[in-house]
Amino acid sequence: MLQKATFTLSDGSTLDDLIKRDSNEVSLRVMNDEELYKLEMERIFAKTWLLLGHETEIPKAGDFVVRDMGEDQVIVTRDRNNEIHVNLNVCPHRGMKVCTAEAGNAQAHRCIYHGWAFRPDGSFIGAPVEKEKMHGNLLSKEQLGLKKARVQLYGGLIFATWNIDGPSLDDFLGDIKFYLDQLFCRTDSGLEMLGPPQRFVLPCNWKIPGEQSGSDGFHTLTLHRSLMEGGIMGGTPESIYDNAPGMYGVDVSDKHGHSLRCLEAAQTFKMFADVSFEGKSVEERLNLLPPPGITKELIPQLFKNLSKEQVEQLATIPPQVGGIFPNILLAFIFAPRTDGGSSGALALHTYVPRGPDKVEFINFIFAEKDAPEQVKRDMLQNAIQQTGTSGIIEQDDADTWPQIMRNSRGTVSKTITLKYQALHGHERPENWYGEGLLYPGFTKDDTQWNWWLAYYDLMAQA
Amino acid sequence: MVNYATAAVDQASVMRGLVSKTRVPLGSEIYNRLLETLYDEAAALDERRFDDWIALLATDLIYTAPVRVTRSGANKDRDVMRTMMHFDDNYESILMRTGRLSKSAWAEDPPSRTRRFVTNVRVAECEAAGEYEVSSYLYVERSRFDVAHNETTSAERRDIWRHVDGSYKLARREIIVDQSTLGMSNFAIFL
Repeated sequence: MLQKATFTLSDGSTLDDLIKRDSNEVSLRVMNDEELYKLEMERIFAKTWLLLGHETEIPKAGDFVVRDMGEDQVIVTRDRNNEIHVNLNVCPHRGMKVCTAEAGNAQAHRCIYHGWAFRPDGSFIGAPVEKEKMHGNLLSKEQLGLKKARVQLYGGLIFATWNIDGPSLDDFLGDIKFYLDQLFCRTDSGLEMLGPPQRFVLPCNWKIPGEQSGSDGFHTLTLHRSLMEGGIMGGTPESIYDNAPGMYGVDVSDKHGHSLRCLEAAQTFKMFADVSFEGKSVEERLNLLPPPGITKELIPQLFKNLSKEQVEQLATIPPQVGGIFPNILLAFIFAPRTDGGSSGALALHTYVPRGPDKVEFINFIFAEKDAPEQVKRDMLQNAIQQTGTSGIIEQDDADTWPQIMRNSRGTVSKTITLKYQALHGHERPENWYGEGLLYPGFTKDDTQWNWWLAYYDLMAQA
Repeated sequence: MVNYATAAVDQASVMRGLVSKTRVPLGSEIYNRLLETLYDEAAALDERRFDDWIALLATDLIYTAPVRVTRSGANKDRDVMRTMMHFDDNYESILMRTGRLSKSAWAEDPPSRTRRFVTNVRVAECEAAGEYEVSSYLYVERSRFDVAHNETTSAERRDIWRHVDGSYKLARREIIVDQSTLGMSNFAIFL
């Protein structure tokens, strides 16, 4: 029984007209629509958990970075008690930004307009000329702090939400956590960000990269054809579609719209084509081919931090690419180098809406904190060369997405639908430990369709 | 060596412009030849003659573009973050990139039409004989498809050019972009 959508756009369209759940189609017009965008900001970006950064960006008391939750700017701080806070970067006095830098260290954030000052935890210190009580006599100092978001950390990642009484981050990550742990919670010291993020703005709606992050594996074969031509992925330029490197694995997702693609290295990359795990123990597999970002010295830590089942999966068919709803992409990939090495590239992106026709692409690059310095250096270089601003993979995405949005404006074009009709259907593979919706075999549209169903669910709730 | 182990912005540095005090004066033979080389390089890139561009590169090239971060107060000038970059390349990876551009690199197929404007060129002698620090301003206009407005970027480039067999080869380039959030959709072009 389909539930009824709870909004009607000014031209009479309802959510069910836009997301056609009986035929697995989405109207192209959703990719640039002012009215829909405003609803998305209220019903998705002001409601759900959003990723803002990583605790290693703000290691000391008073450290801060400025980030965005939808179009609401926030200050992410660490206070003297080592607690992380996320506060709206809006002075409750006259609406000025309290913090005009992108990052730094401050024990107090003093608004440059009239001088109201706030502690890293967001609490109000006072206004200048204390004896004149320039914050007035209607509200107490306790009532004049910066508006606070609810904060939760996972694997050092800083998540926040305005939904103060909503589901916990654990509930939100749900079944996908079993797989995410294998990437974010696998070593004693955890991950660290290697530098501040790359940031750039694309002329496209946030949902175009958003839905791709719902584990669109299939586009790799054509859009990222240069990976096959360059000899990085398996196969030859002539036989790309016959070999279909990187297409076969197990896609996992869940009802919240998160998803991951779990792939065997041998199936994906030419340089690992001869690596066989046949008859080898988990330890032997890990030593033969450590998963992306893991070095041989770190292998014992995996057994300490993960369950037996999680280590076995990581050793055999590790999660490599995927997304967390609504606007996060993760790529923890094997990254063969021109010098023959392959220490992997660990990148996480958020796609932050900047209006219905713009998105900010933020690229966070990681390594394991306990990895050797040279490995971190190589991994930084791998990630920069493959992902983000100049990355040879994502250059092609950045040039494709704006053209989809341009099409979504045409009177006739916007009636075209995006089709998610190549479906596999949930099927539990043999010897599989994790939960969630599972799609073994060739990567299909299931996980991306689940992304749209999660979008539908949030958009249907006022 | 840069400490790559931290994302904290304390690692930011101020350094830009020329380091060497031994200036090569404007109008001198060496200055003129280097200026001509910069113009030739811009033309090779604008005309997508990548083999000609590669011929200008030293095989020990280091080619980077650190990110910029908006800072305030006491640290307001410490805004060049060398722990994170938009480009982190060497000669081999540049060859990988140009090789890709000759195949299915949709980011530049159809290609951008570009104009690189190179100005404010300052030259100084390095300690190693035959090597010169060359600092220049770069402004790029980039036209994509039939979009009527260009994407642009502005930057300072801190280069080291080496005199080899009668011509100059680029041995080091650091591109200091001005935007902390880039307005250009990607860096599928070289700067």
